[in-house]
Amino acid sequence: MKYIPTIGIECHVQLATKTKLFSEVDNDARGKEPNSCVSPVDYALPGMLPRLNGEAIKFAIRAGKAMNCKINEHSRFDRKHYFYPDSPKGYQITQFYEPIIGEGFVELPSGTRIRIEHAHLEGDAGKLTHFSDYSLVDFNRVDTPLIEIVSMPDIHSAKDAHDYCKELWRLMIFAEVSYGDLYNGNMRFDVNISLAPEGTKELGTRAEVKNLNSFRSVERAVEYEIKRQTKLLEAGKKVVQETRGWNDADGKTTGQRSKEEAKDYRYMPEPDLPPINLTKEFIETEAAKLPLMPADYRKMFGKTIKSDILEILLDYPQLAYKLKEIASPSHPERAQVRSPKLIALDGKVSAISLIANLFVSVLLAEEKSAEYLNDLPSAKDLTELAEMNKKKELSSTATKEVFLHLFDPQMKGRGSKQIAKELGLIQENDLGALEKIVDAVLAKPETKKAQDDFKAGEEKVIGFLVGQVMKESRGKANPSAVQDILRKKLA
Amino acid sequence: MEIKREDILHLADLSNFSLSEKEIDKLGGDLKDIIKYISQLDELDTDKVEPTYQVFEMDNVWRDDEIIPQDAEREMLLKLTKNEANHQIKVPKVL
Repeated sequence: MKYIPTIGIECHVQLATKTKLFSEVDNDARGKEPNSCVSPVDYALPGMLPRLNGEAIKFAIRAGKAMNCKINEHSRFDRKHYFYPDSPKGYQITQFYEPIIGEGFVELPSGTRIRIEHAHLEGDAGKLTHFSDYSLVDFNRVDTPLIEIVSMPDIHSAKDAHDYCKELWRLMIFAEVSYGDLYNGNMRFDVNISLAPEGTKELGTRAEVKNLNSFRSVERAVEYEIKRQTKLLEAGKKVVQETRGWNDADGKTTGQRSKEEAKDYRYMPEPDLPPINLTKEFIETEAAKLPLMPADYRKMFGKTIKSDILEILLDYPQLAYKLKEIASPSHPERAQVRSPKLIALDGKVSAISLIANLFVSVLLAEEKSAEYLNDLPSAKDLTELAEMNKKKELSSTATKEVFLHLFDPQMKGRGSKQIAKELGLIQENDLGALEKIVDAVLAKPETKKAQDDFKAGEEKVIGFLVGQVMKESRGKANPSAVQDILRKKLA
Repeated sequence: MEIKREDILHLADLSNFSLSEKEIDKLGGDLKDIIKYISQLDELDTDKVEPTYQVFEMDNVWRDDEIIPQDAEREMLLKLTKNEANHQIKVPKVL
């Protein structure tokens, strides 16, 4: 029997606000001492009052809009009770009944749409580090603002699970609401997987794999679960509804709890935080700040840039935006202005595709690429470079060289043309001048044999002759122009 | 309303309380009284009343996203815990 997997994913995204969700302390604890970004509110000392960070609401609106979601004008917070050392309050402040972000969808690069059920704001828990017979607790992460994004069970393959998580990551970094640093746990995924025989409507019993922190581990965990559950079902056994952990080294999931008690979080309205009531104007003002999203760039560049290259570029919002600047310098705005003019490439097709290739094959291959990404050359310099390449003033090798020098602290700011001149890379396209060089080479006795061979029909020797001319010109001649002239002269 | 022994044990578990046998018996009676008292509210017809989530009638109480230095230093806060190690709170191993 064939089984169809059905997958739903919950994703926690840490928002990059300056302060925490409920206290005025530093929210960016990367590289900081444990328990150094903690206030009495985070410690849940008696009598402490959480104060809602207004910026987190704005971030949530942008995140929601990035996922084509409805933003709820009314939302509020609830307490979710549980005892665990990572939660000093004894409860988490979350939005169980009335979340800020409603239904929407995420479109994968393949065009498949995954519906979003809702997304809500909540505070993160602290971080536990486990040792042989004790655990240590760091509260730096307590009440870092999170949005938890809950998908509908619309995913049916490991690849789509991977692509959905990756697209969510892109949406969050393009919307500039999260650092999107997976290594530091800025995004974490819980994946629900069940199998059902093909053709049946009812879903199978699901297992939940919790706390995955990379797209690859999501994909591998889903692959593993599909295999494990298929085996069980084929053997006539049942899948147990349980939480499973993922071991990245073994590539396996294992059951985490022996007794699966019904959870009893005793949700109650959070009495310390008044509800959120947003006006349509407030939501629209925030929504209008949403920068262009990956889907917009796919629309803009889908016909110009090969899709494998474009998908790599879309991992780097800076590169996508730079290409947009080159494409339509007359529309520098980054926000979503959905006019056809913005999508039109203002006749820059060849420049866009050249620069896109340079970004992917040259810039991203550089050791210092991370540094370079934050300080890209101007659109003007890149456009000039593309124009020189188009006019054949620069060979493809020379184009790469000038491109790299645009990042050189000594050279940058001088402009592509000036750099090309200083490096002596401008190709000789002046046909009169080229002809003189060709004549000089043909007059040399050592090229006599090659000329005769070519005339006798030995096509290959043209390469030798072009090489001789290139040498004579000290590399500045345009090889294709040289070949044309040679062919005419030797005809 | 009948309060079963299992209900008391479940509540104690959720609240992280350990109870003696004597306390379990006593709490059963106490809870029964408390629930009976609260149940008087059932006499009211609340079908047309909107739920109240807070009593101050406020909404949108937000603050700016600016870091404010805290009065409480890390060491002051850590002093409140029983055990600490490496500037972290030391707890029995949990998984």
